[in-house]
Amino acid sequence: MTSVVLESVRKSFGSLEIMKGVDLTVEPGEFCVFVGPSGCGKSTLLRIISGLETTTSGQVFIDGKDVTDAEPSERGIAMVFQSYALYPHLTVAENIGFGLSLAKRPKAEIAERVKQTADVLQLSHLLDRKPKALSGGQRQRVAIGRAIIRNPKVFLFDEPLSNLDASLRSQMRIELTELHAKLGATMIYVTHDQVEAMTMADKIVVLNGGQIEQVGTPMTLYNNPASPFVAGFIGSPKMNLFDGEIAARENCRTYGIRPEHIALSSTEGKWQGKVRHIERLGADTVVYLDVPELQTLVVRTDGDRPVKIGETQFASPLTGKEHRFS
Amino acid sequence: MSRRQLYTGIAALAACGVIFVLPFIFIFITAAKTKQDAATLRFSWPVEWQLWQNFVEVVQTRNYMLLLAYFNSTVITVAAVTLLVLFGAMVGYVLQRRPSRWNTVIYGCVLAGLMIPPAIVPTIWVLQLLGLFKTLSGMVLIQVAYGLGFTVLLFRSFIATIPRDLDEAAIIDGAKPFQIFFRVILPLLKPVTVTVIVVQSIAIFNDFTNPLYYLPGRENVTVQLTLYNFQGQFQTQFNLLFMNILLVTIPPLIVFIFFNRQIVAGMTAGAVKG
Repeated sequence: MTSVVLESVRKSFGSLEIMKGVDLTVEPGEFCVFVGPSGCGKSTLLRIISGLETTTSGQVFIDGKDVTDAEPSERGIAMVFQSYALYPHLTVAENIGFGLSLAKRPKAEIAERVKQTADVLQLSHLLDRKPKALSGGQRQRVAIGRAIIRNPKVFLFDEPLSNLDASLRSQMRIELTELHAKLGATMIYVTHDQVEAMTMADKIVVLNGGQIEQVGTPMTLYNNPASPFVAGFIGSPKMNLFDGEIAARENCRTYGIRPEHIALSSTEGKWQGKVRHIERLGADTVVYLDVPELQTLVVRTDGDRPVKIGETQFASPLTGKEHRFS
Repeated sequence: MSRRQLYTGIAALAACGVIFVLPFIFIFITAAKTKQDAATLRFSWPVEWQLWQNFVEVVQTRNYMLLLAYFNSTVITVAAVTLLVLFGAMVGYVLQRRPSRWNTVIYGCVLAGLMIPPAIVPTIWVLQLLGLFKTLSGMVLIQVAYGLGFTVLLFRSFIATIPRDLDEAAIIDGAKPFQIFFRVILPLLKPVTVTVIVVQSIAIFNDFTNPLYYLPGRENVTVQLTLYNFQGQFQTQFNLLFMNILLVTIPPLIVFIFFNRQIVAGMTAGAVKG
């Protein structure tokens, strides 16, 4: 069980500062997810932990040891890339055993450990194939196998599921969570998909513009977002956020209410608006209301609620669910 | 296929036949003729077929000089092409992967190697100074130097298509820079390596002028220089000359036919999401 600690990590490319001083502790055995929009520095932060990128200033500790200047191979980490980065000229077995063969382990030992790893990931029947003969999900598993076989102290994932289709992605989410439970290793996972973050993480780190916006468990971030940015990023459809006059009336700079925390009524309510657009998702219906004082208000309501475009509806926030950011 | 496409196809084939096949047939027929018959230089059927006799005579000329020439040319070609592939790939890799302000200078030198014509006499001085003039190793280095610019250019652009993630995955797996190059990158360069082997080995094997300048001496003869055996100031034995040409043409032809089928791109398929 290994902890990862970052102390005021900064990274600049020329005059452009990408990481603006990041302090973070990932506890041993934790599944920690970095989320944020494109260009927020989450991948850079992961690459700094892996050692593929150096820090401009600040320190990185893995297992209590300062590894800021250590080579990636000395850090006890394994990384799964977004593109999988399988070696196209090697078979699945050679791909998985590549690290061991570089370390000049005996052939029998490599074969044995490759077999064990392949069994865990259900790849045993594919060991002689080349990566180009595999499906996306299988390639993903090979990439994970290459990471597992090294018994790393920390697993790093760089958007590993973004190239898979939706159904495979949800299956792999479950598999990765189970793998985490089985191995008990510390895992750091980068994604821009808040669903992945919410479903898999023990701890979510929301990054924005090279800084940490908030760190917490998924439900903490959902219930008590520290800033409008976090509020808008976690949850789907995203929270309704209003500045200006509305916010001033509520004594705050930004006023927010989640679509699922608004009650619709056809007779009375706090806001009156016209239905502009309806999305029927089956279990839920998402209604877009044109409210004159708010512009668009998104409301999530029951799946079979009879609403029609052009109708007038009333919306009221549930008490205790409103967010006021100052 | 439309009628028009058919006609243009036939016309193109005929043109290629005239340009490429006819001269070859002429060489073959003349190589089979007797001395008097060949001297007329007519495109006619041989009066008497002497293919085997001419072959034996060409091989035996000047104490089996042709065999020595084959040996020399093969040594030069194999050594030079090996070094070219190795150094071309290495230089191309460093130029493509490692950002450094020196790279601009090095890349400039590579391009200069392509653009600026070599100066013969100063090169000979350098070779003499190093004790490499009139040696096979000196000739190998000359061929490497002349071919390196083009080779580096080819390798560099091909390496740009190999995802950098592969290098990084190897680094994470614990590979040292040399291991990354030899175990990950070099095997992926197969298509461009085959191209370099074909192009450079044919060019070096067929090179006439450079061995003429840099590799004088009876012991150092290369295949192209054996053509001088049958040309004199007053008399040329055309049947033997053409037999010699025929023999000299065969190895590059074999290389081309053999490797042409191996030029298969798409080795990197599967590296990145597909």
